[in-house]
Amino acid sequence: MKRIEIVSGVWYYGKKILLFLLSLWVLSVAVFYLSRLAPGDPLVSYYGERAERMKPEERAWAREKLGLTAPISVQYVRWLSGALRGEFGISYQYKRDVLEVIGNRLENTLWLGGIGFLLTFLLALLLGVFCAWHQGHLVDRLIGRIGTVVSCIPEFWLSLLLILLFAVTWRILPSSGAYTIGGTGSLWDRLRHLILPLTVVVTGHLWYYASLIRNKLLEESKEEYVLFARAKGLRKRSIFFRHCLPGALPSFLSLMAISLPHMLGGTYLVELVFSYPGLGTLSYESARYQDYNLLMVLCLLSGGVVMLGSFLAQVINERLDPRIRRRTGTADRADRSGRIDRGDLPEGKKEASARKKIGGEANVETKA
Amino acid sequence: MWKQRHKRIQWKKWGFRPVSAAGIAVLLLAVVVTGCFCCELFIPKDPSYFDLAHTSEAPCREFWFGTDTMGRDLFSMVWQGGRISLLIGFLATLLSTGIGILVGTASGLAPEWLDALLMRLTEIFLSIPHLLLIVFLQAMLERATVFSLSLVIGATGWTSIAKVVRTEVMQLRQSDYVLAAKTMGAGFFHILYRHLAPNFLPSILFFIVMDIRSAILAEATLSFMGLGLPLEVVSWGSMLSLSEKAVLTGDWWILLVPGGFLIVTLLGVTEIAVFCRGIPGAKIKHRSRKNDRKRCKNRSLQKGGRIA
Repeated sequence: MKRIEIVSGVWYYGKKILLFLLSLWVLSVAVFYLSRLAPGDPLVSYYGERAERMKPEERAWAREKLGLTAPISVQYVRWLSGALRGEFGISYQYKRDVLEVIGNRLENTLWLGGIGFLLTFLLALLLGVFCAWHQGHLVDRLIGRIGTVVSCIPEFWLSLLLILLFAVTWRILPSSGAYTIGGTGSLWDRLRHLILPLTVVVTGHLWYYASLIRNKLLEESKEEYVLFARAKGLRKRSIFFRHCLPGALPSFLSLMAISLPHMLGGTYLVELVFSYPGLGTLSYESARYQDYNLLMVLCLLSGGVVMLGSFLAQVINERLDPRIRRRTGTADRADRSGRIDRGDLPEGKKEASARKKIGGEANVETKA
Repeated sequence: MWKQRHKRIQWKKWGFRPVSAAGIAVLLLAVVVTGCFCCELFIPKDPSYFDLAHTSEAPCREFWFGTDTMGRDLFSMVWQGGRISLLIGFLATLLSTGIGILVGTASGLAPEWLDALLMRLTEIFLSIPHLLLIVFLQAMLERATVFSLSLVIGATGWTSIAKVVRTEVMQLRQSDYVLAAKTMGAGFFHILYRHLAPNFLPSILFFIVMDIRSAILAEATLSFMGLGLPLEVVSWGSMLSLSEKAVLTGDWWILLVPGGFLIVTLLGVTEIAVFCRGIPGAKIKHRSRKNDRKRCKNRSLQKGGRIA
């Protein structure tokens, strides 16, 4: 039995990995063709304004040099063979290897996006739990109202307001960049530059997730087992933290996994206003100015993160929530056997008990 | 959680909340909308007149909200700009609702392979950050007019409506009247218009109003980034694009005035949306029915196994 489980486990994850690679491939083809078919001249991104004044022969030579004269399919095969070796070409704007350009900025984005992500979900959890605990009281209603108002504030407006207050009027925090130019680049310097962008990122998303977890907790509290626990005489604290919260947690964690790409990729408006050198502004520039190689790698990166997020969400859901695990296992077995109600028949009972030993109270679920 | 459930259900059914908070927001929204559409009646100056003698003036008696960096009176600009922002919001939502209903109904009524295909398409749209998609499409269109912006914003915002419509249609297509209509030879659009739409419209009302909100926000963001309407065309977004430079010199009114109007509008629209969600008939989670069914079939013992 154990061997079957190992094999099926490997096959399960193997299928997912294959699907992942296939989706990445399809994404790369789509982005490649779309970016080349879009209007705009990549020569402008390479040569800047001088491209406007180039003679036709110079243009032809430039296009030949950049490899843009071949038909698109040939260009794609060329790119793909390079990509499989690990060479993604050079960026037209920065005239350096694409991976180098991304590597420089990746660190900054990870600081901002990563810390923003963790902070948002930690605070959202705390706030959601607090609001659900005090549900109906003035505090909860007040926080709810403030949260709704804050979620209506545009991110770029809040960034500008914070710059106005903290950098221009009071002059205590820097207004742009990730670290002071010419400075030591120390941790404290980086953190100082991160405070304002982080505030904007967290404030923008906080109430959405906090209200989600608050509603999920309240839903859980309406379940029957809570009524039973209350009738048994358990304290509110016990019921809340030992029963309701673990019930709400799987969906919260899977929500976190799904929001990971959204938060990492959604920082680019904040990066734009704060002139923070991150991947967001890089992808915007490469899309706008036809920097094909850079655009390809960035799209693949973001597509990969999205798929990783949804995969993590699925795995978390199946591992943490025994209800889903049982139901998923049941669905597979029911499909394979072809009949769902085998456990009811007398001869089916023997098979049912055999199935039970393998690992699942299958017939209980299928009967219901 | 521990108060009487019954009273809370009664309150929640009608989406009731103290008149003070939501009512004020909607009232302000009504003021802004009427002001924007009747602005010719009360604005003192021409909003597109560049009064270069009075650039970047703080709010004073002559210029109630001050002037921007090019000398235009902010008070007049903000009311007339609101027209364009709200117009783009409505047009984009109209388009996205249309696309969403069509895709959702087609997906709900279609055979399974078509349904799966359409849903994969929707997921692809959803997986790319919304703003990046809009930026990409707008960069492809190059010129930015009111209609091209509405087109781009509408073409990217239909996914939530499509999903809800698909769920509803999948439930509705088993109904007898739909089957009867099909046997009588009704076409796709007839069934959609006469039978399906009246049933799923209350559910998607919330999403439609939230779409208006995100469309207005998207227009402001696009114009702020320089990809939306040009500076000569007055809208809240283009006013905010000037504020980026203005902030560094401390001209707070250029930032606060259009931003304030934008926030008030968004807040009012959100309140309307939340109210729409509370309208009876909108299919939200029917907890009571689920509990009844559970009690009948004694399923509670299996849930998470925490009682046993």
